[in-house]
Formats: sequence, C-alpha cells, structure tokens
Amino acid sequence: MPDIIANDREGYIELKFGPRWKYIACVRGFIQNFLAISIVDQTKADKIALAASELLENAVKYASRDDTHILIRVAPATEKISILVENSATPQSITTLREVFQKIIKGDPLQVYVAQMKEAAVRNDGKSYLGLARIRYETGGELTLNITESNVVKLAIDIE
Amino acid sequence: MNQLNIQPISDDRIKIEAADIPDGLGVTFAGDIDMEDPGIILDPFFDRIHQGMISKKLKEVKADFTGLNFLNSSGIKSVAKWIMRLSDLSTDAKYRITIVHSKDITWQVTSLPTLTFLVPGGVKIE
Repeated sequence: MPDIIANDREGYIELKFGPRWKYIACVRGFIQNFLAISIVDQTKADKIALAASELLENAVKYASRDDTHILIRVAPATEKISILVENSATPQSITTLREVFQKIIKGDPLQVYVAQMKEAAVRNDGKSYLGLARIRYETGGELTLNITESNVVKLAIDIE
Repeated sequence: MNQLNIQPISDDRIKIEAADIPDGLGVTFAGDIDMEDPGIILDPFFDRIHQGMISKKLKEVKADFTGLNFLNSSGIKSVAKWIMRLSDLSTDAKYRITIVHSKDITWQVTSLPTLTFLVPGGVKIE
C-alpha cells in the first residue's frame, strides 16, 4: 500500500544553476534521463527536453543575475508534465519578452511559428525570438508568463 | 573537395560536410547545433552554398540532417534565412533544397517539415 501511494505522487526535479550557456546541454541530457524513467511516451519525453532546453536558452540569454531555476513536475497517472523556468531579467529584456509572448500566444501554433521564422530570417542582430513559438507548436502545450515586482521572469509550459 | 569549394566545418559538437551530387550539392550535418549564436558558423556557410549554386547554375542542394541530434531555434533561424533567399531568385537561378530527415528523431519530425512553408515549392522534405 505505501508503494502505491508513493507511485501516485507527483514526481519532480528541481535544478538551480549559474547562467552559463555550456550548462544547458548538460541539463538537457539530465532532463532526458529523468523523463526516460518517469514517463513511457518517448516522443513526449523528447518534446519536453526540447521545450526545457529552449526555455533555458531564453533564461540564460536574458538573465540579469547569477541564478537560473528549472522545475519539472510529472503527474504519474496522467503523464502531464509542467516545466517552470525562473530567472531575473532587466526591465528592457522583460519588455521584449512580454511583446514576443503576446505575439506568439494567440492564433494557430503552426502559422504563428512559420510567421516567426520568416521574421527571424530577416533579423541581423543575432537574436531569433523563435524559441517560444517553436515549443508552443512542437509540444502543443500551454505557455504562461508571469513577472514579479522584483523582475523575476516565470515562464511555464504544461504539456498533456 | 566539392565543385563549389565548400570547406567542411568541424568542432567538438558539430560536423558539416559538403559533397557533389548529380546536378548539385549534398550537405550532411552531424552532432548538436546548440551554441548561443550558431549563425556565426552557419550563415557564412549557407551564404557560400547559395552564391555557389547561383554561379554554377546548379539545381539541387540535398541537406541531410539525419545525423543531427539537436538543433536549437537560433540554428533554425539560420536555416530559415538560407531558405528565404530562394524567394529572391529569378526563375533561371532558382535551385531546390531537399531536406532529408530521420523519422526516429522527434524534433526532426516536428521541426523540419515546417521549413517547407517558408518558400512554397522551394523546399522538399524526404
């Protein structure tokens, strides 16, 4: 009986790391391994690892302080996954993020993604602003954005 | 060396090679494209291909992504940028891009076919 209760509980991993680009691949690999033992659907696991990686890239690019935080929760019964990435950001980055988020959150995910790709293709500033549109289309998940008064960005996605 | 003199790219995480194919160029990607700004490597590489295809009047680039484990959205931007340049070409100069993908790699199944929407008729997926 205790085992059944334990298996029904939500599983999670939580990582906090200094915003260094080279850590992202390492965290992505760790998440893939975590998901391989947490959910059955390998395609879904791959999509979640991709989403986590894109959210982390976003966080590391725009982090203004030395911590990036990721929490991944798995509901064993439904295999619903929630990813939350938190980082501090400058007011300027937050304004840009809000604009991008508002643009990509509405409409058909594929059309929005293709439109963002076309827009990214003509940018010459080294930025793509493509990650959120990509994971919305590729995972079919629901993105949410919350920003605290102390400029902490909380980007989350729930994937059924 | 291939007829466009495209040099291979090789570092710890990525290998890109170009070789002649009938009426065009084959390009193979292997490893992980997950650096912060892959455009530094990819944009000049795709530019050389684009210019070479036009000057030699070649008709097809076969871009084989099956060995690529990961491509971040900044990398997708570079590929999209290259593809979008097809729309600027006159009918005579046009070439086709065939994207070869692996059905066993999830991101390739979901990401790569979307590139065919950028320039209708310019990109084929197989």
